[in-house]
Amino acid sequence: MPGAEESRDVRSRCVLCPAGCELGLAPSGPDRWRTAYPLTDDAGLCARGSVVGELLGHRRRILDPAVHEDGSRRRVGPDDALRAVLDAAGEKTLTVLLDGNLPCEQLAEAVARLDAWPAGRLCLVVEPVDRELLLGTEESGADYLRNDGLADCDGFLLVGDVFAANPLCARPVLDRHRAEPRTPIAALDPAGGAVVKFASHRVDVAPGGELAALRALAAAAGLNVDAPDVPSAAAAGAALADCERLGVLLAAECARTDNWRAIGRLAGDLAKARGGGVAVQTNGANALAAVRVEAAEGTIPLADALADESDVKVAVGCDVVGMLGRDDVAVAAAAAALPNRTTQAAGIVLPLALPGEYGGTYLLDGARPAEVGPLIDPPAGIETAAALVAALARAAGAAEPAPRTQDIVPGRVAGGDAPAETPAAEHASLVLVLARRAADGGCGALTGHASWRTSVDPLPELAMAPDDAEQAGLSNAAEVTVETDRGQLRARVRLAPEVRPGVCVLPEGLPAARALVSSELDPDHHRVVAPPRPVTVSE
Amino acid sequence: MPTQEQETIEKRVFVDMDRCIECGSCAAACYYSHADMPAVQQARAGWALLPVICRQCKSAPCVDVCPAEAMVRDDQGVVRRRLFRCIGCGSCARACPFGVITTTLGGTPVAWKSPDRLTGHQVAKCDLCADRLSEHPDAVPRCVAACPAGALVFVDARAAPAEGIKVVGGRTAAEDFYKRR
Repeated sequence: MPGAEESRDVRSRCVLCPAGCELGLAPSGPDRWRTAYPLTDDAGLCARGSVVGELLGHRRRILDPAVHEDGSRRRVGPDDALRAVLDAAGEKTLTVLLDGNLPCEQLAEAVARLDAWPAGRLCLVVEPVDRELLLGTEESGADYLRNDGLADCDGFLLVGDVFAANPLCARPVLDRHRAEPRTPIAALDPAGGAVVKFASHRVDVAPGGELAALRALAAAAGLNVDAPDVPSAAAAGAALADCERLGVLLAAECARTDNWRAIGRLAGDLAKARGGGVAVQTNGANALAAVRVEAAEGTIPLADALADESDVKVAVGCDVVGMLGRDDVAVAAAAAALPNRTTQAAGIVLPLALPGEYGGTYLLDGARPAEVGPLIDPPAGIETAAALVAALARAAGAAEPAPRTQDIVPGRVAGGDAPAETPAAEHASLVLVLARRAADGGCGALTGHASWRTSVDPLPELAMAPDDAEQAGLSNAAEVTVETDRGQLRARVRLAPEVRPGVCVLPEGLPAARALVSSELDPDHHRVVAPPRPVTVSE
Repeated sequence: MPTQEQETIEKRVFVDMDRCIECGSCAAACYYSHADMPAVQQARAGWALLPVICRQCKSAPCVDVCPAEAMVRDDQGVVRRRLFRCIGCGSCARACPFGVITTTLGGTPVAWKSPDRLTGHQVAKCDLCADRLSEHPDAVPRCVAACPAGALVFVDARAAPAEGIKVVGGRTAAEDFYKRR
């Protein structure tokens, strides 16, 4: 009986976003699990968290190392797999692209291992847009607001679809709005996400123009910055000008703007000036820690790692090919719990533990360090990412690292020079942008395996303004081909009046959608960018 | 055997239209908790994407039309589908005036003459997570527990006006489950 199962469930926290919602686990068959919910508590757990249980016992789980040879995969032992990785590296430098959303203990362990390994170097991988945004908010020095602290704010600025990025942050915002219906809520989201539905002031801006609009808004709200002429932003800023505690919620989304760092910094400055703080809704729970570790320890930025083609790359826990939408990223080996685009491209595949099978310290809910325990143990013989890096270093003959003396929770990134700004480009008549969705984590490397997603979405949904659809002769629910200069995919049209004319929106959590707006390297600024792409939509 | 005359359950799941952020958490919670036979789904109402949840009708057409007496109102007043009696004929789905009982999820057949099911013929039906309700007097269905925005509430329908809840819609087969304060 399910109820009885729930009474003896294991409780922990979801680490697929920084909300860190409580969740439980209940058996649903031999070696199968499902997410369990508290009997009487309606604190909430989004669709992403509901997927965790299924993933832990997923039938497609990678359980054995394998080597890709002559078009087929051959199972090998763990030691042979590590040896194959080192043989592939030969005399070259081996760059470990490590998932940045691991607990602080694992990040610290990996840093120490790579420090003691002269032929190896470490790159912590988080979503490039999250990294840029977090660098901006860190440099601004603004406070990070806890979720329950948002209800004390007397005004909100929502940049990007923060309600899709972290549905739980909607509750305090809506609580405040219910208690005080005149609370101003300004939304800046060219893709017309869920935040637009609740906005008292919608900032009308094209993709790429977010920074200019934010600047106009900030100036109207009392910040001393140059103010371009964006009337809707000025109106929203004027509404926020009287706030004594402004909550700025931010979610960086792909294929929008290259200026997330400048946006983060300006948003932080605005929040400070209005007595409030920021809440950054990243992909994964520990992106902030990874950004801080990168700054403190000098790990190599992803853009630099990708630009260097003289090394051999090993992806551990991150689907870098799917995330960037680029098939030309040469990865010799990939460690993952479930198949993804990187494991498909790699010559050597290694199994890995899933979130929920290890615990540790995360910066959750307003950047506070929080201990998260594991839900279950990983399957026999499957390592965590840090343990795998350690095994690789040992196999390469690297020295054992000295015991760590610093705190494993990294400190804040110091303020730096003004971030680079890219002027908004002139767009074609129709551009493709990507949007966060509550059911997806990152590019969907894990959540894309959820049976619920595949049942609900046999085809991806392409949201577009009714006028654009009419011009193209498309009706609601029409099956269409979406094509950019990077490729094409089939999708189903959804007429969405909240979407700005000239903009088409695909979910960010689909590697196929990422491939349509594939990322570009900006080596001058050590960053990866993904601007909006001109697109054609046809039946 | 429980019949249509059994008293209806006092509590119902209401959707607060001013809070629903269209995240689909309710549908996911239902899907994973009911052996892939989800009774809570999302559907478009105009431009909005809203959860579609059984209203536990006072006079339930699905109970009246079921030829196999699989649809019954149980001791707690909840309209349930009895697993071993359901023949998957789809009569309840056709009779439901609100389109709540369906045989597909996003266009994909779900538990509809599926060969890997025990009987091969079943229709999904919301039972308000009866296993939970029987366990604790203050228990809430999983969709309500999962809703991150607080848009789904499980409250006594008779107390709704007293709580300042304005139930919108004028259909009479049951309480309308969309509300505004």
